[in-house]
Parts: sequence; C-alpha cells; structure tokens
Amino acid sequence: MTTSLERLSPVHRKSALRNKLMGAGGAAVVVGMIALTYAAAPFFIAFCRATGYAGTPQRVEAATTDAEGGRILRVAFDANVAPGLPWKFEAETDAVHVRPGKTVTVFFRAENLADREITAHPTFNVTPAVSGAWFDKIQCFCFTNETLKPHEKVEWPVVFFLNPELEKDESMAHVDAITLSYTLFAAPPTRASASEATRDGPAG
Amino acid sequence: MASVSEFTHAEAHAHDGHEDHGDHGHPTGWRRYLLSTNHKDIGTLYLIFAIIGGLVGMVLSILIRAELMTPGIQVFPVLSGILDGDGSVDAAKNLYNMFFTSHAVIMIFFMVMPAMMGGFGNWFVPIMIGAPDMAFPRMNNLSFWLLPASFMLAIISMFVEGAAGMKGFAGGWVLYPPFASTVGTPGPAADFVILSMHIAGASSILGAINFIATILNMRAPGMTMFRMPLFVWSVLVTAFLLLLSLPVLAGALTMLLTDRNFHTTFFDPAGGGDPILYQHIFWFFGHPEVYILIIPGFGIVSQIVSTFARKPIFGYAGMVYAMLAIALLGFVVWAHHMFTTGMSLNAQRYYVLATMVIAVPTGVKIFSWIATMWGGSISLRAPMLWAIGFIFVFTVGGVTGVVLANAAVDRYLHDTYYVVAHFHYTMSLGAVFSIFAGFYYWFPKMSGYLYNEAKAKIHFWLTFVGINLVFFPQHFLGFAGMPRRIVDYTNAYSLWNFVSSIGAFIAGIGTLLFLYILYDAFKLKRQAPANPWGPGATTLEWTLSSPPPFHQFLTPPPIPEEDEHDAPAAAAVGHA
Repeated sequence: MTTSLERLSPVHRKSALRNKLMGAGGAAVVVGMIALTYAAAPFFIAFCRATGYAGTPQRVEAATTDAEGGRILRVAFDANVAPGLPWKFEAETDAVHVRPGKTVTVFFRAENLADREITAHPTFNVTPAVSGAWFDKIQCFCFTNETLKPHEKVEWPVVFFLNPELEKDESMAHVDAITLSYTLFAAPPTRASASEATRDGPAG
Repeated sequence: MASVSEFTHAEAHAHDGHEDHGDHGHPTGWRRYLLSTNHKDIGTLYLIFAIIGGLVGMVLSILIRAELMTPGIQVFPVLSGILDGDGSVDAAKNLYNMFFTSHAVIMIFFMVMPAMMGGFGNWFVPIMIGAPDMAFPRMNNLSFWLLPASFMLAIISMFVEGAAGMKGFAGGWVLYPPFASTVGTPGPAADFVILSMHIAGASSILGAINFIATILNMRAPGMTMFRMPLFVWSVLVTAFLLLLSLPVLAGALTMLLTDRNFHTTFFDPAGGGDPILYQHIFWFFGHPEVYILIIPGFGIVSQIVSTFARKPIFGYAGMVYAMLAIALLGFVVWAHHMFTTGMSLNAQRYYVLATMVIAVPTGVKIFSWIATMWGGSISLRAPMLWAIGFIFVFTVGGVTGVVLANAAVDRYLHDTYYVVAHFHYTMSLGAVFSIFAGFYYWFPKMSGYLYNEAKAKIHFWLTFVGINLVFFPQHFLGFAGMPRRIVDYTNAYSLWNFVSSIGAFIAGIGTLLFLYILYDAFKLKRQAPANPWGPGATTLEWTLSSPPPFHQFLTPPPIPEEDEHDAPAAAAVGHA
C-alpha cells in the first residue's frame, strides 16, 4: 500500500500518519503487559508473604500476643525429600494438639545418606491454604539452606504458634487440622550461594 | 479458489478502472495470496485456514467421542498402533490426552480466532466503516502467515516425545506446570506447543493493533463511533481484549519455557516459585480469551438478527455498553477457574459475585436480540436460523455458567463433564454457530456465488440436533460425577456417553454436508446480487458488488445523515 498512498484521498492520507502513532501505542501496551506479567512473579511472592496466601506461613521474631484461643487445633507434620537428594528426613512427632497463642517447639530429623557434603533447600507450606495467614513461625531450619556433612545426622527445631485471631476468620471456622509440610530439594551450587532473600520464596 | 480469484480480478478492474489509473499490477496467482496486502484476500486466507483447522480439530473430537462411545479403551490402542506403532494401553491413554489437548489448541487458535477476527474481521471491518483497507496491510499479511507456521509447530508437537517415552503433549491446553514443566513432560513436545501458542499469540496481537488503528482512524467521514455497525464494535472490543491479554499469555509461556530450558524457577518450588502463580497468570489471559472467542460472534449475530428481522438492532447503545462491560468484567474474574486451589471465603465471595455480574450485560444482549426480532418482519433464511440457534445455545451455556459461578457448586462440578458441557455450549455451539451464521450471511458477498439455501438449512438442523445430542447429556454425566480428561469410565455412565457419541457423528455428517455446500456453490457459480438479503441489510458491504471490487472506498463513501440506529424500523428500510 505504500505505492498507493498517493492514490488515497486526503482523509485517508492523514489517517495513515495517525495509524503509525496507534501502532506504536499498541506496541507499547504489549510491552507494558509483558513487563507487568513478569512483575507478577515477585509481586506474588510478596503477596503470599504478606497475606499467607497459598498456605504461606508467616515469619515473626517472637510471639506477638499473650492472648490464647479457645479452640484446640491438630497440627500434623509432613516431611518429604525430592528425588535427587540422598537424605533421610522425618518429623519426630506425627502431630501435636495446639491451643492458638501457645508457642510450640517440634523437631525434625535429617540424615545425609551420601558420602559427600550436600546442601539442601527446604520448601514449606501449610494446608489448608487459608491457614497460612495464622501460622506464625518464630524459628525454622527452613529459613536458610541446610548443609550436612557425609552421613551427618541432625535434629532441627521448629518453633511456631497459631495466631489466636484465626478464631475470628470465617474461612477457618471449619478447619480443625492443619498440616505443615516440608520438602527438601537438592540445592544447585549457584543457588546455595545466592542471597537469603532469593532463596526464601513463597513456598520455600 | 482459482475461479473465484479470476472473477474478483475481473470485477476489480471493471470497478476500479476509473479510479485506479496508476496501479493495475496487483499480484496474481500464488503471489496474490502469499504476498497479499489486500484485506479481502487475507480474510479469505484466514477463512480457508480456519476451515482446515476446524476439520482437523473436528476429526480429533470425533475420534475422542468414538473412544468414549462405550466403556473400556478400544479405539486409541488401535490409533496409537497406527500412529507410532506402540499400541499399549499407556500409549493409548497418552494419545487420548494428547488428542483433547490438541483439539482445544487447534479449535481455539486455529479455528475460532482465525475465522472470527482474521476472516470476517478482515473482510468486513474496513468495508463496514468505509475504509479502503486495513491500517497496516503488510502487517496484516504477517499476521496471517504466522498462523500456518504456528499450526505446523502444533502439529510437530504431536509427533515428538512429550512425557517420558510418549509422543505429543498431553497436559491440556492450559499447560499447567508441573505437568507442562520438565517434571511431567521432559520431551520437546511441550516446547513445540509453547512456541506454537507464542507465534499464534504474536499473530493475534499484530492483528489486534491493526484492527484498533483501522477502526479508530480510518472511518469514513460521518461514520462516528456510535454509528458503527455492532460487528465493528465487537471486533474493536475483542482487539482490546487481545492486546491486553495475549501479552500476559506470552509472558506466562516464556516463563514456562525458561523454566523448562534455562533453569529459571518461576513455577518451580525448588527455587522459590509456585505452580499456582502460573494458574493465576494463565487465567488472567484465559478468561478474557473466552470472550475473545465469543464477542465477535455477538457482533455477527447482531448484524444478522437485524437484517432478517428488518429492524435496526434494539438498544444499540446498550449492546455496545454490554460488550464493553463484558470485556472489562472479563479481566477481574479469572480465579473462578481456581475455586479448588484454596482461597479464603472472602476471595471466593468476590469471584462468585463478579462472575455472576457478567450475566447482566449478557442478559442485556440476549434480551436485545429477542426484542429486535419482536414485531420484526422475520425471514428464516439460513443465516437467521444459525443466529437464532446461537441465541438458544449460548443462553443454555450462559445459564450453566451461572451455576458453575457458585464456588460451592463448583467444588462438586469442577473438572467434571458438566464443565465440558458448559464451555462447549458457549464455544462449540455458541461461537461455532455464530461463525456458520456469519459464513452463510456473507458467503454470497465474499465469493459472489449463492449457496443452496435448502442444504444450508439441513446443515443447520443436522448440526443443531447433533451437537445438542453431544453436549446436553454431558450435563447429566457431570452431575453424576464423571470426570473430564479421562479415557475410560465405569458402566454407570455408558448410556449418555453413547448418546453423546451418536450426536458427534450426526454433527460430523453435518460438516461433510457443509463441505458439499461449498463445493456445490463454487461448481454451480450462481451469481449473487449485491444485496441478496433485502432492505434489512443496511451496512456498507451490501452497497458493493458481490464479490466487492479488489479495492473499495478509495474515496470515502457517503454516510447517511440521520441516525439509523435510533430510527424506527420503517425509516431504516431503503438505505441499502
């Protein structure tokens, strides 16, 4: 159509220039939407940490309240090792019964079955997902990557409490059992040296 | 098509001779199509492409229905034996999963979208607004020719390794990780599907920019926004949906691609990612996408109902605002596809409510179509039959959508055949009926030939009966708990599956009849008049010859002064 531009009426010739602006505007929208899509990834992580969405437990320095709840919830523990990590990993207790507001300490046992030093990257979440907002961890081995020497055995403590505010949350009204689940992944060498911030994703 | 091209060719010279002194040499033969910058030729290419895509997609679906006709796994072991010599039950299951995946990808990206936007949009948007062509004719060519490349990638994916030891990608068109990541599909089949959708997306994005520039800038003087035919509005709204949603799909697919090949961990928990994030991003695209598939159909049906009721559309402005409202709401309801992923009650409440609100503008549209027909001088020609069929099946699909919008009900019906029935009523019946309605409405205009009206009506009835037989019983199966995406089922589901498969074969015969109608029309070459539909057909395409000249409206056409949309029926008659 470039050769036919002269054939066009003045109306159409004028619009041809505006078309170019429109095209550029459209391209800018496309680039912007792709950028926003990528921005969604860190935003999602931040959103999960802030709200407990997708079963993301909250990380706190210390118990924030002295209040105690009236209900007792069962908190079960689940320990998994992803394929490719020659470790043994298990919870010392299957489950505990917890009154919201009470701080609880439980232990997980891990053992490196291989003849070499290995670093593992722990990921975690709670189920049902809505309980993430009320599951507050004070101390956890999962806050950092863990390295075990050949055949080393360790016991890791996890210190947590359930926020008594959960009793005011309708979504929690029918939840009387929460499962805290861990999966250990073999950390690639590069990831082991990465900063803690990049390691500490929404589920891990 | 050679005869058509010769004809339009001659027409072009006959009509443009007086306006077209400098440039007689538009390309001929294969160059005319391969190098085409003409919106009508590109529209024709899109329609041919959509017919091919539709046939491939339909063959896949008929084989799926053949398998599901009776309990047990009978058809796919044989197919798998023929296709890659395996024939084991596992290979058969994988092949079945690959078939429904490919069926969806092909029907969405290589049938409905090319037919509605690429085909009818290219053909009639410039004509309806009195423009000589699209704003970017070369980009238009690129938009089309990206599609065959994309289609080839989709076909290739069916023949390379996907899941370990299996051929093709079998994880559904949604490509959820971890199945679509290297965990579930280590082979390159998933990469081919991703790249195929990337290129199809790029094609549609370019097309969308083209439509937006064309509609906003190239209207003839007097063709104000609120005097545009509703089909043009529907394409404009769809183009904005495409522009805003497809880059999001492109982003999600790129993340998935780099997760698969370059060790990023957007959706991999091992590195801090989350597969749920993929679902959010995907459905942020995916929900607008279903409106992309249906809104142009709204526009087509509006034109047809108005033409064959011989009345201006009832509530024109309401129709425009309804489309805009549906498009806007389409961006804020995505998580209703994810009710089972564990959302708080308040989040569920929001998504239930927002989703149900969409029924309001949709209801406005259905009401306005019926009100347009009310008291009109209705002639039940083939396009009108398809349009009325559309209104019926789309209403059924819309009503089941309101049922599924309830989070509590959805928990029970999620991933059952009820959902399959719901979206096929809106897509396989709704979108497809509007495409056939548009095809029979504009075929005389596009080709210059008349088709056999009686056969077109038989095609409608075969399809209407067949496809309702396919999908209505699937509501029962869904309520009874039959899960989707599984090759086999217990005997309890056998009756309605049998009925459903019979329906698929009837609809398949209807499609064969459609091909015969096309053959028949091109063989008999019965010349169509400029306006075969009478005084109800008031849009600009009916003022041109059939087929239209190679170039039209090099001088903008005069647009009548009075506002037809507000005029009573009698005043609108005669503009043609």
